[in-house]
Amino acid sequence: MSDRITFEDVSKFYGEILGVNRVNLSIPPGITSLVGPNGSGKTTLMNLMTGLVRPSRGQIRVLGFKTDDPENMFKIVGYSTQFDAFPKGLTGYQFIYSYLCLSGEGSENAERLARQAIERVNLVEASSRSVASYSKGMRQRIRLAQALAHNPKVLVLDEPLNGLDPLARSEMIALFRAAAAQGCYVIISSHILHEVDVISDQVILLSNGYVVAEGQIQSVRSEIQEHPTQILIRCDRPRALAAKLFESEYMIEASVHKDGHGLLVKTRDADRFYLSLNQLALDGIEIESIAPADDDVLSVYEYLIGNEEVVR
Amino acid sequence: MTRKTWTQVRAVMRLEMKKTFFAKRGLWIYAVALLPVLLFIVYAAVMANEQHGTANIARRSEKSLTYQDLLAVKPGMTKEEVTTLLGRPPDTFHWIENRPGENGSHVSISHEQYHYSDGQNDLWVGMVDSKVENINIHEAFNLGQDAVMFAGVFQFFFLRLAIFFGCLGIFMNLFRGEILDRSLHFYFLSPIRRDVLMAGKFLAGLLATCVIFVASEMLQTLAFLWHFSPSTRDLYLYHNHGLEHAFIYAGVTVLACIGYGAFFLVAGMLFKNPILPAAAILIWEGINPFLPAILKQFSVIYYLKSLCPVDIPVSPGTPAFFALLVSNSDPISAPLAVIGVIVVASVALVVSGLQVRRLEINYTTE
Repeated sequence: MSDRITFEDVSKFYGEILGVNRVNLSIPPGITSLVGPNGSGKTTLMNLMTGLVRPSRGQIRVLGFKTDDPENMFKIVGYSTQFDAFPKGLTGYQFIYSYLCLSGEGSENAERLARQAIERVNLVEASSRSVASYSKGMRQRIRLAQALAHNPKVLVLDEPLNGLDPLARSEMIALFRAAAAQGCYVIISSHILHEVDVISDQVILLSNGYVVAEGQIQSVRSEIQEHPTQILIRCDRPRALAAKLFESEYMIEASVHKDGHGLLVKTRDADRFYLSLNQLALDGIEIESIAPADDDVLSVYEYLIGNEEVVR
Repeated sequence: MTRKTWTQVRAVMRLEMKKTFFAKRGLWIYAVALLPVLLFIVYAAVMANEQHGTANIARRSEKSLTYQDLLAVKPGMTKEEVTTLLGRPPDTFHWIENRPGENGSHVSISHEQYHYSDGQNDLWVGMVDSKVENINIHEAFNLGQDAVMFAGVFQFFFLRLAIFFGCLGIFMNLFRGEILDRSLHFYFLSPIRRDVLMAGKFLAGLLATCVIFVASEMLQTLAFLWHFSPSTRDLYLYHNHGLEHAFIYAGVTVLACIGYGAFFLVAGMLFKNPILPAAAILIWEGINPFLPAILKQFSVIYYLKSLCPVDIPVSPGTPAFFALLVSNSDPISAPLAVIGVIVVASVALVVSGLQVRRLEINYTTE
C-alpha cells in the first residue's frame, strides 16, 4: 500500500467547463488544506479524490487504492461533503448507524461506532432527533460524524467549519489535529485563511482549476521570488537598527512598527539577511525576537492568487 | 454472495423500503393499485343489488320456481299456458302498439312482458297478442363470462397501466429521485460496490411493488368473488380453476414487477426526464402485437400475455387492428415465457450495473 494520495496529470471537465486541469499532487499524512476562491476547483478535487466524479484524464490513487473501487477505498476514507441533503426520515443516530450498516458492519459494531462518532462531534443529545430538524451547525457536525464513524485513515472534509460556532470550531480543529497526530491524512478545504494557517501542515493553493502551489507554507513562500520576504524584528532601538541594516546589501525596505518596539524589513535573501543580523546583534542592539511576517497562508495567497473571495 | 454483501444489501433495502412505502410522492401508486379493486367492489355492489331485486321477484311469485321451470317456457306458448306453468307473474309490463293497417285504418297490437325469477336467475317473457314471442334468461352467475371480464381488467388495465406506471414511479425514483433530492452521495460514500447498491435498491423496489400489486390482485379476486353465493364461490375456486388462476395472476404480477422494474431502473439512470423513456416503453409495449417476431422478444408484455390463464375472445366483427391487440396470436409456453421475462430483466439489470459504476455525483447539472 502506498503512503500517499497521488494525482497524476488529472484533469476534469464538465462538458466544456474546466473543473481542474493537469493536477499533479502527492499528499503526505497530516493536515493538508485546499485553499482557493470559489470555483477554483477545491470541491472538484475532493470529489475526484473520493470517486464521486471520475477524471476526464489522469489517475488518482488514495494510499494505493483506485477511486473507482469504493468497496476498498471507503474502508479507509471518510468524506464530509458540502451537500446539505440527507436521506429522508432519519434521526442523527439512524443516519450514522445506517451508513455503518451499509459499510457492512454488524448491528452491534455499527451501534457502538455510531455512538462513538456522535460523542466525538458532541451531538449526543440531538442524536435521537430527525436530521431534518437540525440547525446548519448540527448538520455539519453529523456529516463530520459520518466521515469519522469508521475511523478512516483519510479524512476528506469540504468546508468542515462552515456553520459552526467558535467553540465548536475549536473542538473540531482539535479533532482534526488529533487525527493528524495519529498519522491520518486530513484534507480540508477552506476559504477562511487564518484557520487554514493555524491548522495546516501543508497547503495546496488552487486558482481557476490549476494548482498554483503546494507544500509546507514556508517552502511555498520561499519560492515566491518576486515578493521580498518580510521579517519583523522586535528590539529596543528600532531606528538605530534600521540605520545599521541599511548598510546591508540584502536589505530593500524597513519601517518602524506602529507600536515603536519593532522593525519590519523587506529582504530578497532572507538567509543571508539573518546571518548579517547576527553580526548587528553583537553591536549592542538588544534583539528580542525575529520572525517572518509574511510566510503565512494569507500572504502567500495574496501573492499568488490575489485578494478575491477570501475571509481573513 | 458473501455475508458482508448480504448485510449491505439488507441495509440498502431497509433504507429504501421506508422511502418507497411511505413517500408522499408515491401515494398515487397506491391509488392506481387500488383502482381495479374499487372497480370490482362497485361491480359486486351492482350485482348484489340486482340479486336483491331478483330475490324480491321470486318472493312475490305465486309459485316457487326452479331454473328448470324457467327453461320450460317456449316461444309460441299462450299466455294461459305460461301462467299455468309459472303462475301469475309478479312483475308485468304491457303496452299497445298501433300499426297502420290496410285502407288507412290502424291495427292495435298488445305487447306484454312477464318477469319471473327462481331467486337467482331472471326470466323475461315477451308476448305479442297473448303469445310468447321472445324469451330472455339472465343467469345470476356466468362464471365463464365473469372470468373473461376479470382477465380483461387484469390484462388491459392492471398489467399494462397500473403495474406499468407503478413500477415507473417506484423504480425510476430509486436513483433519479435521490439525484433530485441531492442525497445519492450518501450511498456512494460507503464502502459498498455500486452493483451491490443497485441490487439492494432493485430488490427493495421489487419487494415494494410486489407487496402493493400482489395485494391488489388478491383484493381484486376477493372483491370479484364477493357477490357470488358460497356454493358458486366454491364452484368457481375449486372446480373452475379460480384459485389456480388467482395464483397465476399473482405470479404474472410478480414477473411484471421484475420486468418493468428492471426496465425503469435502467431508464432512471440513463435519462433525466422520466416522461420520455416511459412514453417510449409504453409505446413499445403497446405496439408489441404488430412487431416482427424477433423484436417481440424484447418486450415484457409479450411474455406476460402468454402466461395469463384466460384468453380474451375476440367478438365477431371486431376490427382487425383491435382483434390483433386483444388476441395473443403468437403465444409461447409458460416456462419459456418465465425464462423470457427473467432474461429481458437480467439484460436490463446488467446495463444498470454498468451504468451505476459510471454514475457521477454532479447535482448542479441535474
